[in-house]
Amino acid sequence: MRLLSFFSLFLWLPALAGSTLQLPPQGGSHGIFVESAAAIGLNFTHITGATGQYYVAEEMGAGVALFDYDNDGDLDVFLVQGGPLDGKPPADTAGYPTSRLFRNDVTKGPDGKPRLHFTDVTTQAGVALRAYGMGAAVGDYDNDGDLDLFVTSFGPETLFRNNGNGTFTDVTKEAGVSDLLWSTSAAFFDFDRDGDLDLFVANYLDFTIAGNKKCTDTAGAPDYCGPRNYHPVPDRLYRNDGNGQFTDITESSGVSRADGAGLGVVAGDYNNDGWLDVYVANDATPNQLWMNRHDGTFVDEGPLSGSALNAAGNPEGSMGIASGDFDADGDEDLFVTNIIGETFVLYKNDGAGNFEDARVQTGLGPLTTAVTGFGTDWFDYDNDSWLDLFIANGAVNAIESQRGQPNPFKMKNQLFHNAGNGRFVDASSLGGPAFEHAEISRGAAFGDIDNDGDTDIVVTTNGGPVRLLINQGTPGNHWIEVALQDSPRNRFGFGARIGIERTGKPTLWRRVHTDGSYLSASDLRVHAGLGPSATIDAIVVQWVDGTRERWTKVATDQLVTLKRGTGQTEKR
Amino acid sequence: MLLTLKTNTAALLLTASLFAARTSAQTPKLSLDAYPAEIRNDLARPYENVRVHPDDPNAVGSLARVFQAWEQWETAHEMYTRAITLAPTSFDWHYLDACVLERLARPHDAVAHLRDALKIRPEYVAARVRLADALLSAGQLGESRTIFAALVREPKAEPLGLFGLGRILAAEGKHEEAVQAIQQALALFPEWGAAHYSLALSLRALGRRDEAQQALQRHVQYGTRWPGVPDPVLSSVSDLRNDSAARFRRARSLADQGDLNGAITEFESVLADDKSSALAHSSLVKLYGRTGNWAKADEHYRAAVALGSGLAELHYDYGVLLGLQQKWDEAQDAYRRAIAVNPVYPEAHNNLGQILERNRQFEAALGEYRSAASDRPTFRLARLNVGRMLIALGRLDEAITELQKITQPRDAEAPRYLFALSTAYVRAGRKDEGIRWANDARQLALHYGDTALAAAIERDLALIR
Repeated sequence: MRLLSFFSLFLWLPALAGSTLQLPPQGGSHGIFVESAAAIGLNFTHITGATGQYYVAEEMGAGVALFDYDNDGDLDVFLVQGGPLDGKPPADTAGYPTSRLFRNDVTKGPDGKPRLHFTDVTTQAGVALRAYGMGAAVGDYDNDGDLDLFVTSFGPETLFRNNGNGTFTDVTKEAGVSDLLWSTSAAFFDFDRDGDLDLFVANYLDFTIAGNKKCTDTAGAPDYCGPRNYHPVPDRLYRNDGNGQFTDITESSGVSRADGAGLGVVAGDYNNDGWLDVYVANDATPNQLWMNRHDGTFVDEGPLSGSALNAAGNPEGSMGIASGDFDADGDEDLFVTNIIGETFVLYKNDGAGNFEDARVQTGLGPLTTAVTGFGTDWFDYDNDSWLDLFIANGAVNAIESQRGQPNPFKMKNQLFHNAGNGRFVDASSLGGPAFEHAEISRGAAFGDIDNDGDTDIVVTTNGGPVRLLINQGTPGNHWIEVALQDSPRNRFGFGARIGIERTGKPTLWRRVHTDGSYLSASDLRVHAGLGPSATIDAIVVQWVDGTRERWTKVATDQLVTLKRGTGQTEKR
Repeated sequence: MLLTLKTNTAALLLTASLFAARTSAQTPKLSLDAYPAEIRNDLARPYENVRVHPDDPNAVGSLARVFQAWEQWETAHEMYTRAITLAPTSFDWHYLDACVLERLARPHDAVAHLRDALKIRPEYVAARVRLADALLSAGQLGESRTIFAALVREPKAEPLGLFGLGRILAAEGKHEEAVQAIQQALALFPEWGAAHYSLALSLRALGRRDEAQQALQRHVQYGTRWPGVPDPVLSSVSDLRNDSAARFRRARSLADQGDLNGAITEFESVLADDKSSALAHSSLVKLYGRTGNWAKADEHYRAAVALGSGLAELHYDYGVLLGLQQKWDEAQDAYRRAIAVNPVYPEAHNNLGQILERNRQFEAALGEYRSAASDRPTFRLARLNVGRMLIALGRLDEAITELQKITQPRDAEAPRYLFALSTAYVRAGRKDEGIRWANDARQLALHYGDTALAAAIERDLALIR
């Protein structure tokens, strides 16, 4: 945050002003998305605890997790809560607000359309966490077939083991995955290909309540301090020992060899060697690309890969990450949200882990000069087969034009349409009323919440209500959703790559993941839009251990579950 | 236009329409109530001037400059727009508005004003550099190349011109030629971090990864250093401010440049206006400590503590100061106070460890060094101290394991770490490995010109052999 550089301010493309790129026709009469959180029972308001002290932790939270905790086939919502920041341990404070879990009770109406309703099941599920929470990560760490929940915080982290009966147990202590560092985003991934999910935790700054610094804006008014006023604290890599316990291997893995104020993290195979690497978005410090060396160690290739710094060689105020194959060339590209004035960056992968800063040629630079971005991900909102972008925006320093207003940090969220030719066009105006309303957005999680074949979004608001953006769909375009089943280890196929093969068109590669974005966890199921074609040739799954399987004669416009060993084995 | 302005004397009750409505660019409605008193004070005189001369472009532009100096970008832009309407051929208002528009993330508009400005003063180098940079970043390589090529012929802008040409060549995929151009720029300004970074990326594209790594190391070494060109028009804006925040920034800048007395004067002037500035007191603790004026440093430390300052750095700096005076017990207390405020404070843990080590409390010292290394794993000095303590405690295998972690990177600090590792090996009875590491340390010390360390290692080697 707070970084402004002469270079970055000019990353734009005037030729694109009044672009000739055309937006596709939209499905809903009220816009692509309809905001409906409160109407369907998703009642949650984030509490920053702000008291005028300008504690930097107040403005960073919080996140959301979208996951099917009760294995009933729909996505439930876990919302991370903040609370008062008075230096007292929240866990010991009676009446401290708690994070909330909402069960999805979606049904089908007589017209065949989904009817959404959420029920607050926090207490009965045993996840009434009293902590100044930040983010959430989801994974089946104990390979028992249900999804567990890891919650980061300004304070100790918490691991909730899913008991498989609608309840959770706090297993933090026995699992050994907690410390006192200020943690933000986290990612479950199987870096050593041993079949269980390891855990990477991004940590941020050494800020403490007692050590709060007084910062002002340029006009002398009190304001939040930037990251340079504090020191980064080290990230953590925990190896899953397969027995319910983790070992901190930050040192031995080499992850301790670079500092950074971590806010976003994602695990993907960036050099296509079949092993999962880690990308960390750092605030005002170089981003890191931890390349997996296949021996339990990682090396930071960020600067040399071209994915750590801007064109002037300066670190940016990076927050959220979207990792996906936006250009359908078979590799994972990275989109990173930054602070106002810098522009957001798209790092285009050459397939070998070398990246090109493509913010100018894709048109994303000029679209993002005036905003500060947090949660984001690649998703195909209109099912045309090309990955689009949503960005949750909100300032971290007072906006001049909002001077005198309470919480003068509000910005509008953005929706960018992938035109399929390497360029993006701003589709925010078609997104619906929710995109016309400025808020202080932070986390964003993506998934098909109403199981109707398109991707919906949950957006958190710093100090405000959660937003649920229900996708109204794009008539005429087809889709497929894929869930994986592996056994006995890595039961959900975390990290596997799924290729949707189509005649005469590039294969659509998607990664099985919940990580990325900012402080948030998204739908584990892979979704792919197919455009007007209702047929595909095959689905290829490249499992994390490197083996490949192919399934043919798969029908579309449905969720398919692919069980390992039931397809045709391929040699890579 | 409606302006409302508060001043300390409340002498200005300016709610009348100040500007005639006949001009095409209406000056916007302003509400200045939300601004702190210091801004309002700075605005008072130029504002009064505008009130008296509403159609005077210099009056309007001067008011805009104050808003710009205070980084009130939107208001500054609106004022410059008015000034440009009144004086379309003024270079300053076009140029300064371009600078403001850059900060407002409106680069397209900024370029338009840069073009207008350069029609008026085509020789103004800083504006040419800005325009060329903007066009390059926008992908308009042809026009950018023309401007950069012309800048190469300007002595003050030659490195900028060469670097610009190098970046254009890189954008075109002509990395061999890009490397040449960037290296020419670096020959003129060797400490240019951004140029080293661009060089690294072009070398990577050419497959010259080792050279690219070396360029990256130089990029890290030089950071944001950049060859500036004189820009008196923009400098005149920043010179407008003399408030405490501006003086604070100047003081920090002077301290960074090594002008300790100048920095002290600035910080003292801040405190003359605002005795409650804990940050100023804290900064003066460090500065007076660096000049050896213990009494003044102590005075400011106590003043900051009396203000209830929770700054961990304050206690840490005071600890360093006490250490320099060999007041070890008091220094220890200061470090503990710093750690109480911020438990994740590697430097404080490390320095506390050193005091405990002086007191021969090796286990306790080891704990502090370990905390420092855990808080910041890249803190190699802390790791060295962990290794040293383990050697002192006779835990040689652990020492070897710890010290092996800091054998990379092989920079100017590395010889000390390699030497420590060799010591651990020798004491562990693994003489051959110790000699090998000692030789390595000596050669690396010579490589970096540290002949004293090389000689010390040589003496030890002679004893071992």
